[in-house]
Amino acid sequence: MPSPADIGVISYAPIALLFVMAAVFAAVNIVASALFGPRVESVVKGTAYESGMDPFGSARKRFNVRFYVMAMTFLVFDVEIIFLYPWAVSFAQLEPRSDESLMFLARIGFFVGTSVIAYIYAWRKGVFRWD
Amino acid sequence: MMGMESMGPRLGLLAPEMVLFAGAVLVSVIGLSRSAGMRRSVPLWCIVALVAAAFVSVETWTQERASAAQLLFPSMGSFVKPMLALVGVLLVLPGIGAIDRGVEGAIASGRQAFDALRVMRGEHYAFALFSIAGAMLLCGASDLIWLFLALELVSLPTYIMVALGRGSRKAQEAAVKYFFLGALSTALFLYGFALIYGSTGTLQIAGIRDAFAAQAAGPGIDMTGLAGLCLAILGLCFKITAVPMHFYAPDVYEGAAVHVSAFLAFVPKVAGFVALAVLLGTAGWTGHALIAADGVRVAYTGLPEPVAAVLWMSAVLTMTLGNVGALMQRSIKRTLAYSSVSHSGYMMIGLIVGAPAGINALFFYLLCYGIMTTASFAALAALERSGEEVDSFDDIAGLRVRHPAVAWMLAISAVSLVGIPPMVGFFGKLALFMAAFESGQVALVAIAVVNSAVSAWYYLRLAIVPLVAPPSARSATVVSAPSRWPAICAVVCGVGSVIVPLAASRLLQASERASEGYGAGSAVAGDESGPKGSGGLYTSRLTRP
Amino acid sequence: MTQALLAMAQDGTLPELPETLRAAPSGEIAAALLISALLMAIGVVGFLSRRNMIIMFLCTELMFQGAALAMVAFSRHHMDVSGQVFVIFILTVAAAEAALALGLVVLLHRRRETLSAEAWGELGE
Repeated sequence: MPSPADIGVISYAPIALLFVMAAVFAAVNIVASALFGPRVESVVKGTAYESGMDPFGSARKRFNVRFYVMAMTFLVFDVEIIFLYPWAVSFAQLEPRSDESLMFLARIGFFVGTSVIAYIYAWRKGVFRWD
Repeated sequence: MMGMESMGPRLGLLAPEMVLFAGAVLVSVIGLSRSAGMRRSVPLWCIVALVAAAFVSVETWTQERASAAQLLFPSMGSFVKPMLALVGVLLVLPGIGAIDRGVEGAIASGRQAFDALRVMRGEHYAFALFSIAGAMLLCGASDLIWLFLALELVSLPTYIMVALGRGSRKAQEAAVKYFFLGALSTALFLYGFALIYGSTGTLQIAGIRDAFAAQAAGPGIDMTGLAGLCLAILGLCFKITAVPMHFYAPDVYEGAAVHVSAFLAFVPKVAGFVALAVLLGTAGWTGHALIAADGVRVAYTGLPEPVAAVLWMSAVLTMTLGNVGALMQRSIKRTLAYSSVSHSGYMMIGLIVGAPAGINALFFYLLCYGIMTTASFAALAALERSGEEVDSFDDIAGLRVRHPAVAWMLAISAVSLVGIPPMVGFFGKLALFMAAFESGQVALVAIAVVNSAVSAWYYLRLAIVPLVAPPSARSATVVSAPSRWPAICAVVCGVGSVIVPLAASRLLQASERASEGYGAGSAVAGDESGPKGSGGLYTSRLTRP
Repeated sequence: MTQALLAMAQDGTLPELPETLRAAPSGEIAAALLISALLMAIGVVGFLSRRNMIIMFLCTELMFQGAALAMVAFSRHHMDVSGQVFVIFILTVAAAEAALALGLVVLLHRRRETLSAEAWGELGE
């Protein structure tokens, strides 16, 4: 029986094979279409593809600052979820209705409470207002 | 699930921080009020929270002393927390009237409607409170996660304070510089923490100390641990503006609003020194016989050689480069920034000497330094010239004629910063140099004394230009700032620099609490009172195969 | 649950741990530490040599992840979960710093129309 270390390396072989296949497939397609495909150059072909609509304006257009504020708010609240997973895993192992589990519940309640305070603050600050 | 039963008293120990958090929430909500009067009351609530935190911190120390026994420095908070809160009150004052000045003016005159997104006063003070609370939290750090989070809580708000404090391009450039270098330093000490964890196998400070003691009993602390300590020190040098991470200080202090510079010169420094004291305390200083977990007595012969060498070189370079840099400046804020760098160099002597004498002298010096440096920044904040901050020596030439109080306060703070006898700065230096002398660091003391003599050159310029020099064309257009609070703060700090020495012996006694109990709680095999396994919230170990 | 586990541990009737929970071979930990050191080094070099602020910020993130990876590797080496707990906190702080960095970068791009760190030189003598 091979040692765990050997299994570790060998078990990655299919992934390496997948990479090789992907690279070969892409290369064959590009080379083949360059060799055999017909070539038509036109103005329409040179424009950017926007799901069939006529493109307008510049791609370097400025976005409303609200997008950034919203993105940052999302980023921070999103990462807070990370603390709920370890909590949930250990909470499931506790004895129901014991002092210990109540303490756990209180702690996560406090944690979520701090997030709610931050949420109320963002709301009062006008982060979610869109006008 | 250890540590469950000790949760209550441990929370009690954090009462001052909780007061500050509540204050920060309150202040940020009041800052968004539609009534201008309510918004103006923000600094008042900020001061109320700080004063309450100071009282609570003294109170909790007397009541909850037992639950702090597992910390490396169980009583450090009882000196550092009230110091942070009281100097924090002084640091609130210079910003009154300066933050949101344009927006508030426009709202008052009816040119602009109130918009919650445009006012920042509440946030500014809330961030100040968060930062101070972070520095307080450091005193109770029982493991590296706590240490890391508290350090971040100190620095993240300060980045925003630099960016918002002043609507100019300079402030934004300063904020970017400060933020990026701050992130670099954070990454450095984080990697250092990882290496320390790798060497010792625990994140708890007391556990790390025991592991280091066990290693020192054998062949010495291993390379991983030493590299970790050195990297962590390097990263923390950013917080205390020590060489090699000092070079941002002049640019950032110049670009930030003057009341924010005053904040940066004190709060992150206290935080950095507390964190460094705790980290170095795990390795131990001379004269402490620690007992490792297996019962072997280890008489420390001092900090591990490489760590001591790094600290020694950094201290010498910091004080020298700080003073030489300050000699060549034309901007007052840059001069003060270099001066703060050099003071960090002096204070690093305290870290090298170590507990108890060096650490006590270090924290006493921090208190003296906080009062003197706030006086000089507040004096600058009390003046303005055509709506801009006063920042060149030309601006303050002959200040005595039109603004005598501010001129005298500037002079007093400068004289005190040199360390001339009746002033508070002298007593700080005396305590520090005596501690170093008694522990045999004669070379270090000699270098520091020469440096103090050099520093007299630029500090005396800061005293003589406003008092003796004739007024210049520029200084004739200097007027008082619209709010009188910065001037009041300058007077309080200036008078404080003269009066505090009268209580120097009592304050020195109080500062002895900083290192009281250090080394007392070291683990003895089988000793139930030891810190082994008493603390952590998550000490559930996986089984070893 | 905890009580039951403790009792089993005392009786010696604790079931054998699955393979993923046992100490990893030292070779794998050395590899993880090597990668973490590489991440850290690439981050430091990139931070010092590049002048685009977004790239500089990405480099600080690389350094953070290097430290986090070292934490996980050491945590496995010592069979102690606290290192992994630390990583969760590192991720949170990194997100907070990212929000701050994005805010600063947007602010500066508005003012200067460039992301090069060399475009600012208002500070200094």
